Amino acid sequence: MLSDLLDEGFVQLGVEADDWEDAVRTSTRPLLDAGKIAPSYVEDIISGVKDLGPYIVIAPHVALPHARPECGALEPAVGVVTLREPVEFGSANDPVRYLFPLSATDDDGHLGALQSLVEILSDADFFAQLDRAKTPAKVVELVKAKEGRL
Amino acid sequence: MPKVYRALVCCRAGIGSSMMLEAKCKQVIAEEGLPIETRHGSVDELSEFDGDLVITMTDLVGELEADPRVPSSVGITNIVDKDEIKQKLVSWLDARA
Repeated sequence: MLSDLLDEGFVQLGVEADDWEDAVRTSTRPLLDAGKIAPSYVEDIISGVKDLGPYIVIAPHVALPHARPECGALEPAVGVVTLREPVEFGSANDPVRYLFPLSATDDDGHLGALQSLVEILSDADFFAQLDRAKTPAKVVELVKAKEGRL
Repeated sequence: MPKVYRALVCCRAGIGSSMMLEAKCKQVIAEEGLPIETRHGSVDELSEFDGDLVITMTDLVGELEADPRVPSSVGITNIVDKDEIKQKLVSWLDARA
């Protein structure tokens, strides 16, 4: 379940970011602090974007910061981050306002969670509700409610 | 038997966005009855892939097209947009009909 990977501590609302790199670093910090990812994972996300382009920007206004599992994904986890001011990644889906940092370990165990995530990201109503959510607890509640309806 | 094309849905990490994109592609393929079967993987798996098509994020297409191991590629910009996926897969199939 997606909600099993999401902790209130991984939710950050109205975050200020100077640029895309700052947004990626800020969005992944709680996962780092909780031991879900190693510092090398964050560096691999950033070098990947620099080398290959903004491949983590997967839908309009949405980035999914993630890297290769072997680069320091320690335990599966996902965060939800909204930015106060959107940032440019140089993607056709710019500007990015929402980030879903993902620690994906190298197995198919979280396939169901990722399928829920893609369905939630397909739901325009989810973003409207996310914009109105005032607390991390509300965001976790929202994800659980959406997932329950899938 | 009509030909079923084999597609590798890949992203740089091989997990995460490729799994999500594959989930959406499978929905479109099932809904439209397209003759494509998919698996997901990382760009590193290209060396052992002998199928027909690579489906990936638009940002990775440039690099993949320069890769001689890639038979043919389709880039998706918005992985939650089933219309985009449908349109691109159908035109890829039309070009082979």
